[in-house]
Amino acid sequence: MNALRAEFRKVLTTKLALWLLAFSVAFTALNVLLMVYLVPTSARLVNSGQLLQIPAYVNSIVASCANASVFVLIIGIIGMTGEYRHMTITATFLASPRRSPVMIAKAIAYAAIGAVFGIINFAVSLGLATITLAGKEHAAIIPSESLQTLGGVILGFAIYAILGVAVGSLIRNQVAALIIALVFVFLIQPLLSAFVDWTTAWLPGGALDAVMNMTYRQGEATSGLLSAWAGGLLLIGYALVLGAIASITTLKRDIT
Amino acid sequence: MTGNSIALEVRSLTKVFGRGEGVRAVSDLSFRVEPGRVTGFLGPNGSGKTTTLRCLLGLVTPTSGETLVGGRPYRELSHPLNVVGAALEASGFHPGRTARGHLSVVAASAGIPRSRVTEVLELVGLAEAGHRKVGGYSLGMRQRLSLATALLGDPAVLILDEPANGLDPEGIAWLRNFLRSLAAEGRTVLVSSHVLSEVQLTVDDVVIIRKGELVSYGSLDALSSGMTARVIVRSPDAIRFAESIGMHEAASVTTDQTGALLVSGMSAAEIGALAFAQNVMLHELRTEEHDLEAVFLELTSSEGGAA
Repeated sequence: MNALRAEFRKVLTTKLALWLLAFSVAFTALNVLLMVYLVPTSARLVNSGQLLQIPAYVNSIVASCANASVFVLIIGIIGMTGEYRHMTITATFLASPRRSPVMIAKAIAYAAIGAVFGIINFAVSLGLATITLAGKEHAAIIPSESLQTLGGVILGFAIYAILGVAVGSLIRNQVAALIIALVFVFLIQPLLSAFVDWTTAWLPGGALDAVMNMTYRQGEATSGLLSAWAGGLLLIGYALVLGAIASITTLKRDIT
Repeated sequence: MTGNSIALEVRSLTKVFGRGEGVRAVSDLSFRVEPGRVTGFLGPNGSGKTTTLRCLLGLVTPTSGETLVGGRPYRELSHPLNVVGAALEASGFHPGRTARGHLSVVAASAGIPRSRVTEVLELVGLAEAGHRKVGGYSLGMRQRLSLATALLGDPAVLILDEPANGLDPEGIAWLRNFLRSLAAEGRTVLVSSHVLSEVQLTVDDVVIIRKGELVSYGSLDALSSGMTARVIVRSPDAIRFAESIGMHEAASVTTDQTGALLVSGMSAAEIGALAFAQNVMLHELRTEEHDLEAVFLELTSSEGGAA
């Protein structure tokens, strides 16, 4: 319990979390605005004009807060690598020399922070979608679908934060860890999806889309996504595997 | 301070970093650190001091041997910060955190009440600067914050790595008195340094290592008495008197550039008595000052043999 309280206090005693929260909210707002105003006027799409009439598309606007998940990944990475960068890991392990409870506390703390990020970003996308869609001809926002998105964002963002912590404990160099994570999210994952279709559903991004009910990207329905349940289980699987590797290596490592 | 006095023990500690041959940082090192005394852990940079301390604190896993705090490995202590306070380097802080924030994080991790944060800040003289971000601290202030962190749990044992680095002379004097008073309360204090003169006035015992191996271990007094003290003699009749001294079996005499005699194996009193008996006039008769730093340098220089 002490370790958990210390992890929360670590986050609350620097300004990082607030900045990242602000950025994530701005990013979510941008996503909603693009999906409401820009994508439906796209000349690239044959049926762009009808997009707002498609219930799944409208639900995806609410679910577009999924894209803010990258900020949750970042907060996990910085939280973990920061311990090595500033050598506060020494104080952490001096206070709790048994390391597995520390890693578990970190995972729980960041999962909670991720969930809070998720709820706030969901509120922003739902609120902004409701406001901007008003006055336009559009399919209704279906409450039960939005509720699934809310559940998905809580689970998905919690897991993304844990993934960030795991990546950070595997790659201790903060800059390297951030670059590798961002390259994966913005380059490798989209490329794999584009060229090897079936991978989409099995990558973390696809699993997050499945669990969040985010079925439209770039104005086109994503094909072959897993069911929400399967996506959730896959995300949990990613966290367990990566977390296990990370904690095994962290448990043995000399802190010099 | 909670609990009784606690000794530290290093038993046949060996640490090799890396695979295969690797880098041998510490080699078959054994020593004990007693409560109620300040022990200096000395050696040049890179001699394995920090590695040894990190092994003691469970941060580094020994290749072989063990380190014990009150008879138990650090990792088995149930409330470690209430037993051992450690200040390992002046860099274990997040620059964006205030001193108060840093201490409150550590306090939370050990279940120590927040009121203690204010106490330790006052103890180390940082009460005024506690709300400022550590990123703007001087090296001396960081050292004080390190010490404050170590003191949070009111521990029976203090392990400080190079605590005098970056302190001004006033700060060093303050640190000396502070450590002496902690030892006087019955605490175990282990202080590392690469300069003996820095801690010479503070420590009771010394553990000296070189290239990861023990060179000298015992009380500071024993270290200085182990030296062969020489007596410096000046006399207008030096050449004749040197012959008389040479007659004594234990004594050996050399002459320095200024013509003074350097006598070892005889005390100043014995030489004075001899001069009196032989009616030799003396201009100077004194025992050479103990130069501990010279001994330390000799013990730890790469050419110097193990004592």
